[in-house]
Amino acid sequence: MTNTELTEVGHAGPDSSSDAVVRRAGRQLIFVFYGALRAIKLYPVENAAVEKALSELTNQSRELLSSQGELEIRMAGEFIFINQTRLRLALDNFGSFSHLLALFRGSGVGSVTVAKGVTSKDWLIFLSLLQHGGDDPSDRLDEVASKLESAGVTSFLLAPPTDSGADREQDKERAKRTYAESVTATRDLMESVRMGGSPNIKKIKRVVQGIVDQILNDETSLVGLTTIRDYDEYTFTHSVNVCIFAVALGKRLGLSKLQLYDLGMAALFHDIGKSRVPQNLLTKTTGLTDDEWPLIAAHPWLGVLALFQVRGAQELPYRAMIVAHEHHMKLDLTGYPRPIRERQLSVFSKIVAIADAFDAATSRRSYQSVPFTPAEVMNELKNNPRRGMDPVIVKAFINLTGVYPVGTLVVLDTFELGVVHAVNPLQEMLSRPIVRIISDSMGNIMHPGTLVDLADRTPDGVFARTIIKTDNPDRYGIRIGDYFV
Amino acid sequence: MNSSPAAATGQNQELGHQEPPFSSTPVEELLRLVAKAARAHQLYLPNNPIYRGAIDSLRAGFVALWKETDEVTLVIAETEIQWYGSPVTKETSKSTDNLAWLFFKDGVRELTIAQGFEENEVVVFLEMIQRARKANADEDDLVTMLWEADFTYLKYRYVDVLADGSGDALNDGRDVAPVTPEQVQEAARQPVEPARTASTIVDMADFDATLYFLDDSEIDYLQAEIAREYKQDLRVKVASSLLDIFEAQADAKVREEVLANLQTAMVYLLTAGQYRGASRILREAALAAERATALIPDHKDQLARLADRLSTPEVLSQLIQTLDATSEPPSREELGDLFDQLRPSALSTICQWIGRIRSEQIRQPLATAAGRLAALHTNELIRLIQDSDREISDEAIRLSGIVKAQAAVPSLGRIVNDPDASRRLAIVQALSEIGSAGAMQALERVLEDADRDVRLTAARALTAKAHRPAFPRFDAIVKGRALREADPTEKMVFFEGFGAMCGDAGVAHLNSLLNGRSFLGRREDPEIRACAAIALGRVGTPKAVEALTKSSGDADVIVRNAVGRALRGSPSASSSS
Repeated sequence: MTNTELTEVGHAGPDSSSDAVVRRAGRQLIFVFYGALRAIKLYPVENAAVEKALSELTNQSRELLSSQGELEIRMAGEFIFINQTRLRLALDNFGSFSHLLALFRGSGVGSVTVAKGVTSKDWLIFLSLLQHGGDDPSDRLDEVASKLESAGVTSFLLAPPTDSGADREQDKERAKRTYAESVTATRDLMESVRMGGSPNIKKIKRVVQGIVDQILNDETSLVGLTTIRDYDEYTFTHSVNVCIFAVALGKRLGLSKLQLYDLGMAALFHDIGKSRVPQNLLTKTTGLTDDEWPLIAAHPWLGVLALFQVRGAQELPYRAMIVAHEHHMKLDLTGYPRPIRERQLSVFSKIVAIADAFDAATSRRSYQSVPFTPAEVMNELKNNPRRGMDPVIVKAFINLTGVYPVGTLVVLDTFELGVVHAVNPLQEMLSRPIVRIISDSMGNIMHPGTLVDLADRTPDGVFARTIIKTDNPDRYGIRIGDYFV
Repeated sequence: MNSSPAAATGQNQELGHQEPPFSSTPVEELLRLVAKAARAHQLYLPNNPIYRGAIDSLRAGFVALWKETDEVTLVIAETEIQWYGSPVTKETSKSTDNLAWLFFKDGVRELTIAQGFEENEVVVFLEMIQRARKANADEDDLVTMLWEADFTYLKYRYVDVLADGSGDALNDGRDVAPVTPEQVQEAARQPVEPARTASTIVDMADFDATLYFLDDSEIDYLQAEIAREYKQDLRVKVASSLLDIFEAQADAKVREEVLANLQTAMVYLLTAGQYRGASRILREAALAAERATALIPDHKDQLARLADRLSTPEVLSQLIQTLDATSEPPSREELGDLFDQLRPSALSTICQWIGRIRSEQIRQPLATAAGRLAALHTNELIRLIQDSDREISDEAIRLSGIVKAQAAVPSLGRIVNDPDASRRLAIVQALSEIGSAGAMQALERVLEDADRDVRLTAARALTAKAHRPAFPRFDAIVKGRALREADPTEKMVFFEGFGAMCGDAGVAHLNSLLNGRSFLGRREDPEIRACAAIALGRVGTPKAVEALTKSSGDADVIVRNAVGRALRGSPSASSSS
C-alpha cells in the first residue's frame, strides 16, 4: 500500500527578501507582544513599564503595517504566522511562542487582523481581555469581540481557529500511520542487521522524515502513541519512541528541521547494537548472570560496528554511531562503555539518553513486568544525579512532557481517573495537563472518555480538578495505549 | 498533509477536468527551459556564459508564466508532465534524461511551483535533478532530496514507493485483568503505597512550573552545545570510538572488524580532506598498538599498516595531486601533522611528485617530511638515488645534499660521471652540501668536467673547504693553457681555489703572473693578473701582501681594483694596516 504526502509550505510573499523582513519583524512583534502581556499582568496599567511595553508593541505593529500593508497574526497548530509567513521557532523565542499559542487557544482566537490606526490604548484593552480566562474557549472569542466593540476598539478583527475536528482526526490517523510504518521499518532494519545483511537506510530516512514532519505539525498525536509500548515488539517500538521523544525535545530546544532529522536518525539507531546481542538475552525474563550482563552492555559499541554495515547514506552515519556509542555514558563519563580516549559527550547523545531512559523505564519489558510510572521516572531523572543525565536537558524534557507525562494514569481530587493526554500549552501549568477522564467518581470506566484541561477553574476561581496521585494502570485493568490508538 | 492514493488521483482527475485558465504555451515553454537549464547545469560550470544564459532564460520563462498566474501545478505521469490534463512535455523514453520519468520513478506525482521559486530555489532544484540523474539505487531518491531541500516555493505530492505496507496494527499485545467499578473506586480512594510502581502522591513542588523554565544561562548553554555538535569532527570521534573498542575488546573477530572499519574511516577522512583527523587517527593507532592487551601480531601489523597504506604510491600520489589541485589547501601545520605520519616507503612517491607541485603551501611541508624521512632512512635514500626513474633519482640526489647524507657519498660518487650534465651538476651540488672528506674526494674528479657549471660548482666547494688534497689538480689547471681560454668567472674560481690551498709556496707563481713581464716586456693579460691578485689575497701571508702591494697603483683599472679588493680582504694586510 502506498501513501501520498504534500509538504508543508510556508507560502511567502512575492519575494524572499520581503519574507525575511516579515520573519524578522514578526519575531520582534511576538517578543514585544509577550513583553506587553507580562507587563500588564505584573504592573498596574499606569506603570511606566506597561506604557513602554505597549508603546513598543504599537510601534512594531505599525512598522509591519506600513511595510507590508497588512498585519494578521494567525495561530495554526504549533505555528505562528505573520501575514502569510511562518515564524521560525528557536531556542530564544520558544517561551514567548508557547505562551501566545496557549493564550490564543484558550481564548478561542485563531487569528487577529490588526488595523492601521491601532493605538496603545487599543492594545491595552485587547491584551487585558485576552488574559481574562475562565470560560469555555468556544464562547470566549465572541465575548472578547463584543467587549472590544463595547469599548469602542475597532482595530482588531478576530477569527476562530481554522483547524476543524476532521483535521485533528486526520492528524491522528496520519500519526498512527507514521508510527506503524516506523516500527515496521525499524524491525526490518534490525532484523537485517541480525541476519548479517547490509540494510539500506533509505526507508529509515523516509520514516524519520515522517516523524519530523509529524512532530513539527502536530506533536501531541505522535507523542501520545508512544504510550502503546508493544511488549512483543519492544526493541522496535522503543527505538521509535526514543526517536519521537528526541525529535520533540529537539524541537523544543530550537533545532532546525534538518537538525531534527539528524537527531531523529541518531535516536532511531541508538539501540541497533542490540541486533547483534543474542535474542535469548534480550527476551530473558529473569536476572542476567555475570557472564550475560557484558553481552547486553556491549550493545552501544556493537551499534558503532553495526552502523558500518548500513548502505544508502551519502556518507557513513557518523552522528548515529556516536549516539549509539555514548547513550549509556553518564555526564562524568562513567556508565558504559567506559571511554579510553578523551571524549566530550554529544548533546544529541544526552538528549537520546534521557528519551531512552524515560521510555525504557516506563515500558513493560521481558525483565520488567511492572513498569515505573512516567511520573516516577521523571522524578528519578530530575532528582537523582547518579543517573548522570544533563540537568538542563532533563529540565527541558520536563518542559516538553509536563510534570505528568503523556500516558500517566492520574487520580483526581474528584476521584475520577484520567490519562494524561497532552502537556498543558500554558507554560505555568506544567503540572496541570490536558487529561482524558476515563472513569467517573463511581469507578465506571469510560471509553474514549472526555478531554479536560486541569487548568480550568470553576466560576469561583478555584481549579475544577487537581491531580492527587499517579497510579499503575494495571491496578485498574486499564491499557493506556487504548486511549491513544 | 497526507492523503490517500485514491484522493490524490481524484484531485489530479479533478484538475484534469477543469478548463485551463490560460493557454498552455508559457507552461510548455517553461518546461522546455527547465530541461535546457538542467542540461546546462550538468555540462557547464556556473561561471560559464552558456550556463548563465540558460538560467537567465529559465528565469525569464517563469516571469512570463507569472504574468498569467501566481502558481502552477504540474502532474507527473510516467513519461509526460501534464497541466490541466494535457501534456506540456512528453518524451517516450524511460530514462533519467526524461524529467517526467525521473520524478515518476521515485514516486513524485505532483509539483506545485509558486512565484519566487525562480530566484534562488530554482538553482537548488536543478542541482537536485543532476544529483538524481547520477544517483545509484542505494543513494537518496528525489523524495528525500525534496524533503531535505525544504523549499518555500515548491510543494510536492508523492507516492511512497518504499512503503511496503501501512505497518502493523497498533496495540500493546497483552491482556489486562478485568476490574469492577467498585474495585476501581476503592483503588482510587486508597492512600498512596510506598512501593515503586504503586500509587505516587503528587509533590507540591511540582506545581511550581517555573522550576522547569530554562533561564538565560541554560539557554546559552544549550545553544553552545548545539553549536558544538555541529562543529565537532564526527569522523575523528567515530575513529576514536573504534580505537577504544579495539583496545577494550580482546576478541579477535571484533578487532578484525574494527580494523576493517578503521581503514574505511581513514579513506573517508582523506576523501573529505580531514587531514588533521587522519593524522590523529594514525597517531592514536600507534598508541593502541602499544597499549592493547592480548594483541596478536597480525592485528599489530594491521594497525601499523594504516600508516603504511597512506605511504603507498597509489594513495600518496592521489593525495598529493588532490592537495595540489585544491583551491583552498589546508594549513601547512595541518599538512605537516599528516606528513609526519609518512613511512620511509613514501619517500619514493614524494621524490616523484615534489618537483611537479605548484602550490608552495603543499611543497614546503612535503619537503620537510621528505627531509625527515631521508635523514632517518638513508638506506631508502641510497636506494632511490639508484632508482631507474630519473625524476625519483634526481630528487633523491638533491635530498641527499639537503640532509647532508654522508652515507650517500659512495652512491653519488659512482654516478658523478653520468653522461647528463644537469644530473652531474645535481650530484656535485649534493656532494658540495654534504661536504665530507669523501664528498670532496669525489668532487676532485670533476674539476676538469666537460660542463662549466659542474667544474665551477666542484671548484667552489673544494675552495670553501680549502681541501688541500685537491691542490695538485688546481695547480695543474691554473698553470695549464685551457684555463686561459675560459671566461673570467671560471678563471677567478680556479685561481681562488689555488690561492686557498697553495700557501706561500704558490706566491712566486702568482707574483710572476701579477707583476712579472715577458721577455719582450709585456705583462700578462689583465684578467689573469686580476685573478692572480685575488688568489694572493686568499693566500694572505705577508709575502703575498708584498706581492700585491707592488701593483697597488697599477695603471690597469681591472688589476688595480682586484689588488685593492685582495688587500682589503687579506688578513695580513688588515693586521699590518
